[in-house]
Amino acid sequence: MKFSLVIYAAPYSSESAATALRFARSLIAQGHELYRLFFFGDGVHNVSKLTVVAQDEINLQQQWNALINEYKIDSVVCVSSALRRGILDQTEANRHDLGVASAYESSEVAGLGQLIDATLNSDRVVNFG
Amino acid sequence: MSCLHTINKSPENNLLKSCLNVVCSGDAILFIEDGVYHCASLVELQAIQDTVKVYGLREDMLARATLVRTMDSVEIVDTARFIELCCEHDKVVSWF
Amino acid sequence: MTNNAKKPIKSIITFISRSAPYGHNKANLCLEMALASAVFEQDVNYVFLDDGVFQLLKGQDGSSVQSKTLGNALEALALYGIENIYADQHSLEKRGIVSADLLPGMQLVSGDEVSKLIENSDTVFNL
Repeated sequence: MKFSLVIYAAPYSSESAATALRFARSLIAQGHELYRLFFFGDGVHNVSKLTVVAQDEINLQQQWNALINEYKIDSVVCVSSALRRGILDQTEANRHDLGVASAYESSEVAGLGQLIDATLNSDRVVNFG
Repeated sequence: MSCLHTINKSPENNLLKSCLNVVCSGDAILFIEDGVYHCASLVELQAIQDTVKVYGLREDMLARATLVRTMDSVEIVDTARFIELCCEHDKVVSWF
Repeated sequence: MTNNAKKPIKSIITFISRSAPYGHNKANLCLEMALASAVFEQDVNYVFLDDGVFQLLKGQDGSSVQSKTLGNALEALALYGIENIYADQHSLEKRGIVSADLLPGMQLVSGDEVSKLIENSDTVFNL
């Protein structure tokens, strides 16, 4: 089946982002298709590449990035949620004269149209917040 | 048409009560994250209609030491089964 | 705006807005998603449930907390062509809110009616 996941939760603040990551891995392992990841609200922090965690802890952002790259997953971070939380790709960073990009290149900064498209093209939409 | 409802907060947050107001017979409820504390509470579980199947996520129970406290009426499932449940129902409604 | 839908179809999306305004941004996120759905011409149901009914009180002024007034934003629902706007009667009663307190244009519904809306939807966003 085709799944899309919507992630509203920031990493570390609650368990939900980690639950979503486990869910994503497991559904790929089962041979389902992950049509899209959509990071919304505080969930946009999951695509930040400017993070450092203690050596004995899991870097969730890095793990999302690795999963997205390994399986070439279509991953979208909502532009309106992202910009106000300091999550910018290089294009947005240049446009707003902020210099450095903070979002992993593996996710695209785009609008809510991509969420609606995901609901139209997925058999199941599962929300994690 | 049936629905899988997930609940991820402890009973204190009243998500189950909200969910039960709109649940249909044939739907299922899956407790995840802090929601698994419902699975150790007979009072909470008794509020759920017999026509609604109840599941709890094993990984979250293991983390919280609630696996042994889980009531018999709850079917314990892993994440792989969580995904199957999503497929077996027509849609997923998350309560968070 | 781009729409990459491979099979451009119409679906029924129900939004259940369950959070009070201002204290948390869930109410705003829910509204944002619904407006986008309307822009992309989906069939939208918008339901206020639990603390979500606090969003419907008349006379809000977000400026006193440096915020946009959510009550005004809700009037945008109609402007975007969203006509199926419901408030859960039980949630209102529980909070001592009567119809005279409410913004105009709400249909009052029971829990059973909300469950029918969910049943008839393709996708449900609940936050």
